[in-house]
Amino acid sequence: MKGETSKYLCPYCTAQKDSFEDLKAHVLESHKGEGVPLPDGMIRLTVNGQDYQIQVEPHWTLNYLIHDRMGLTSPKMFCDRGACGSCTVIMNGRPILSCMSLAIECDGNAIETAEGIADAGHPLVESYVKHHCMQCGYCTPGFITTAKSLLDKNPNPTDEEIVEALGGNLCRCGTYPQHPKAIKEAAQLLGKKGGA
Amino acid sequence: MGKLRIRPYEDIKNKGMYNVDADIPEITYNYIGKRGVRRIDGYAKASGKAVYTRDVQIPGMLYAKVMRSPYAHARILSMDTSKAESLPGVVSVLRYDDSEIKGRKLNGSVGGPDRMAGQFSGFALKPESVILAEEAWFEGQAVGAVVAAESEDIAKEALRLIDVKWEELPFILDQEEALKPDAPVLLPGAESNKLDDFRGEYIELGDVEKGFREADKIIEFKASRKAHLWAGAEMPSVLARWTDDRLELWNHVQQPYSVKLLLSEQMDIPLNQITMYTPYQGCSFGERCNPADFSINGMNTMAVIMAKKTGRPVKLLFDRAEKFYGESSDMMEGYFKVGAKKDGTITAVSMKNIFAVFWCCPGIEHFIENTKIPNLKCHVIPVDVSKAPAWWDRCEQLPNALCLTLVFDHVAAELGLDPTLVALKNDGCEGHGVDWLSKQKKEHGFPDRDSLKECIEAGKKAIDWDKKWHPPGQKKLPNGKMHGIAFTWDHEWDDTRGTGSAAVWVESDGTVSIVAHHPEFGVNPWTTYCQIVADELGVPVEDVTMKPFDGDQIFALMSPDGSCNLCSNGFVVRKAARKARAILLDLALNHFEGLTAEDLDIKDRHIFEKKNPENKKSIREITVLAMPMHNAVGTWTEPPIVGWAWHQHGIWGDAMETGRPRFCRQAHFMEVEVDTDTGQVEVTKVVNVNDVGKAISPESVEGQMYGGTYMGVGRSLTEEMIWDPQTGVLLNRNLLDYKFATISDCPAAETIIVETEMGHGPYGTVGVGEDVATLIPGLLGPAVYNAIGVWVDDFPITPEKVLKALGKI
Repeated sequence: MKGETSKYLCPYCTAQKDSFEDLKAHVLESHKGEGVPLPDGMIRLTVNGQDYQIQVEPHWTLNYLIHDRMGLTSPKMFCDRGACGSCTVIMNGRPILSCMSLAIECDGNAIETAEGIADAGHPLVESYVKHHCMQCGYCTPGFITTAKSLLDKNPNPTDEEIVEALGGNLCRCGTYPQHPKAIKEAAQLLGKKGGA
Repeated sequence: MGKLRIRPYEDIKNKGMYNVDADIPEITYNYIGKRGVRRIDGYAKASGKAVYTRDVQIPGMLYAKVMRSPYAHARILSMDTSKAESLPGVVSVLRYDDSEIKGRKLNGSVGGPDRMAGQFSGFALKPESVILAEEAWFEGQAVGAVVAAESEDIAKEALRLIDVKWEELPFILDQEEALKPDAPVLLPGAESNKLDDFRGEYIELGDVEKGFREADKIIEFKASRKAHLWAGAEMPSVLARWTDDRLELWNHVQQPYSVKLLLSEQMDIPLNQITMYTPYQGCSFGERCNPADFSINGMNTMAVIMAKKTGRPVKLLFDRAEKFYGESSDMMEGYFKVGAKKDGTITAVSMKNIFAVFWCCPGIEHFIENTKIPNLKCHVIPVDVSKAPAWWDRCEQLPNALCLTLVFDHVAAELGLDPTLVALKNDGCEGHGVDWLSKQKKEHGFPDRDSLKECIEAGKKAIDWDKKWHPPGQKKLPNGKMHGIAFTWDHEWDDTRGTGSAAVWVESDGTVSIVAHHPEFGVNPWTTYCQIVADELGVPVEDVTMKPFDGDQIFALMSPDGSCNLCSNGFVVRKAARKARAILLDLALNHFEGLTAEDLDIKDRHIFEKKNPENKKSIREITVLAMPMHNAVGTWTEPPIVGWAWHQHGIWGDAMETGRPRFCRQAHFMEVEVDTDTGQVEVTKVVNVNDVGKAISPESVEGQMYGGTYMGVGRSLTEEMIWDPQTGVLLNRNLLDYKFATISDCPAAETIIVETEMGHGPYGTVGVGEDVATLIPGLLGPAVYNAIGVWVDDFPITPEKVLKALGKI
């Protein structure tokens, strides 16, 4: 835009360009093989194995992006301020609170949600159903993502390790005692599958 | 100062109003009572694919937010909304003085005091029955304006831009302070802060003074319960869409039809023009159950007006802070006087309970309903304070349960008796002992089982009571903490009020659908209905499903309100299944020449001749050919095998359930460790024993038991709404500072199901959803007393209160 002084900075050599198009041309020419920068507010995100390139506003939370814009209903807003764990998604292997993360800061990351875990046929989902880990069910997807990321890191967790991992997930219906049972059963099934 | 009707069971019996006898099973239970039936909502919930009201979005939808009062009591002097209106993205601002909303009151006040929950609604007792008022009676009350905008963020920003000049008015937080003669009177025109309640001020049975004279010991104490609340998972929201004169609503509510009915009256919309959808529901615990209160009737009215005004669908949302709009109806100060004989026989109980904002249950009712104590008196004083109206909070029986626990455990402690013996000594109903109960059981066709005794025996064994119980303040553990153990009991309740209807439809391929609008809050009702229908029809449970979401399907099952699910709905689906079965057998007769329907039975997807089981046809063979039709796509259409039924099972508040005493009991045991240096109380073991009559789905029953224990422990230890005495502002409107139990706060309760089949629901069942969470909070009191030898009758029991009781601070 004419009259504006803002410069577009090359992430590889700090060269300043006048427009995004100039910057893109510069990277393609001078930094072959490197990633081409995205326009302001555009991020790359992998969600449940699918790659996306999405335009976001700077104040959008990751929860707003995934839940309200992308239509994945599993990260639930329960407490609305990082107190309950219901909006937990797995980002690059770690459980994070999607309501406390800005979408724009998640550029280049891989996200897993409960939908993805279910669609992949992870045994956690069926063992959750079997052990009645849900009552009203609103907080359940947050438990599923937290539990899945625990099992990814620790294939045979003890009761104490499970309780510690789920300590940040609130369930007002009080389904708590069922989660360790379901998680251990899923761990066993995963172990069998892995060993076979 | 009228008296409440007492001895309801005898009264009803004398009038011959209801006489519900034992429900003797007529079928083989293949699925009823069986473990391992896959819950039909499980996958949707675990995968996050279940859609809740909060998740619903439709094209063109606007977001609406309501202004909240920053003051505990204040009036708007002037309000300038021009900046908000000119903010880009704001579509409409509704002011309290706009004609669409000005002076509009919550229903109950519109439909007259007898309509729905008018008199009973906490809101109806106070002027905030005006939906969008200019005066706020508590901090956080919706006042002044509603904004509809293209996004929630813009709507919130617009609210910040509204310039309000407030006149601050005097406020008062404590109900006993509010009764003092020099306290400012909050309600305009009132003489004092005492609220006028149509139900009267006294409840009396027998003569308490006589009872005190007969006693060997008089025991007096004061108890206090501070406010707590539902804190359910899903934040309230409503989505309203107009198309021509037709209105669609997506709602997070327990009673869709009643909500629709009140809205229809409120907005003068014909009922047949309103379609209500209730998607999955994230908790309620009574929060979403009063169709007449602000968070439902008020919220819906504002959304409907905004949708009309803007010509766009409007979703009105509350955030977590706005969800802190009610308190438990046990926000009370109680004064107790009890007379007892040395052997534990209680001769009289007198109590004065001072409730903040509202009372629902006075505290004495469980003494009437399940003890033989002949002399009872309760003085109930509801008082206005500058807090949101209190309401039912899983459940309204909280004061009754708390008072029963405290009285019985104080008596046992004063007399040095085992509390389980004191319970057994006084078990009964309306002043009569267990012999009278036995007679009643026999009259109604029940086995004569002593439910309380069975519950106590099972619980004592599980917790090793005989070995562990000890005099108060006597047992120091190797870790230096004091060990406490306690017991409480009550009847097993379920209101059984209300009406439900449902259809059971056998489809062309022989699969079965239960068709009924039904919001579901987590008690696994749909699977349970499928179990009943499967057994009644004689089909595999996998062949039965529930269709609960469609708002225009005529049939509607009671949701967990009023305090009732299976005891009403179980009858409904059973009746409907039996009707469908009759139609199916009738149609089958074409294939069984010379036989009548009585000669046939259904099992394993087949209809067969009872005398000659080899003579059989599959259900599918019957249904496929039931309605032949020649057209381009096939030769049959949907079979006319639809049985529908309704059922009413007592009118709560009028007919007291089924007109016979409650026979089922519950007993709970708790162990604690108290650190006398820090005052910290740790709950180390809980045993729940519930005689649920018949457990249709044992896993679901257990879920209500251990789940209720977590809620109960949280309520007794940490849950408290805290107001700033200087400003009247509620300080902990969030789940970081309002603390309920997490997985690490107490061990899983040991759950024991007793089944005497003496409940008033189908197959002898009785509810469990409200019982444990309501009874457990009070149990911490005697447990802490048993540990430290001093009573802390002030809930929640915080470390500070323990140290004070010990004289350490």
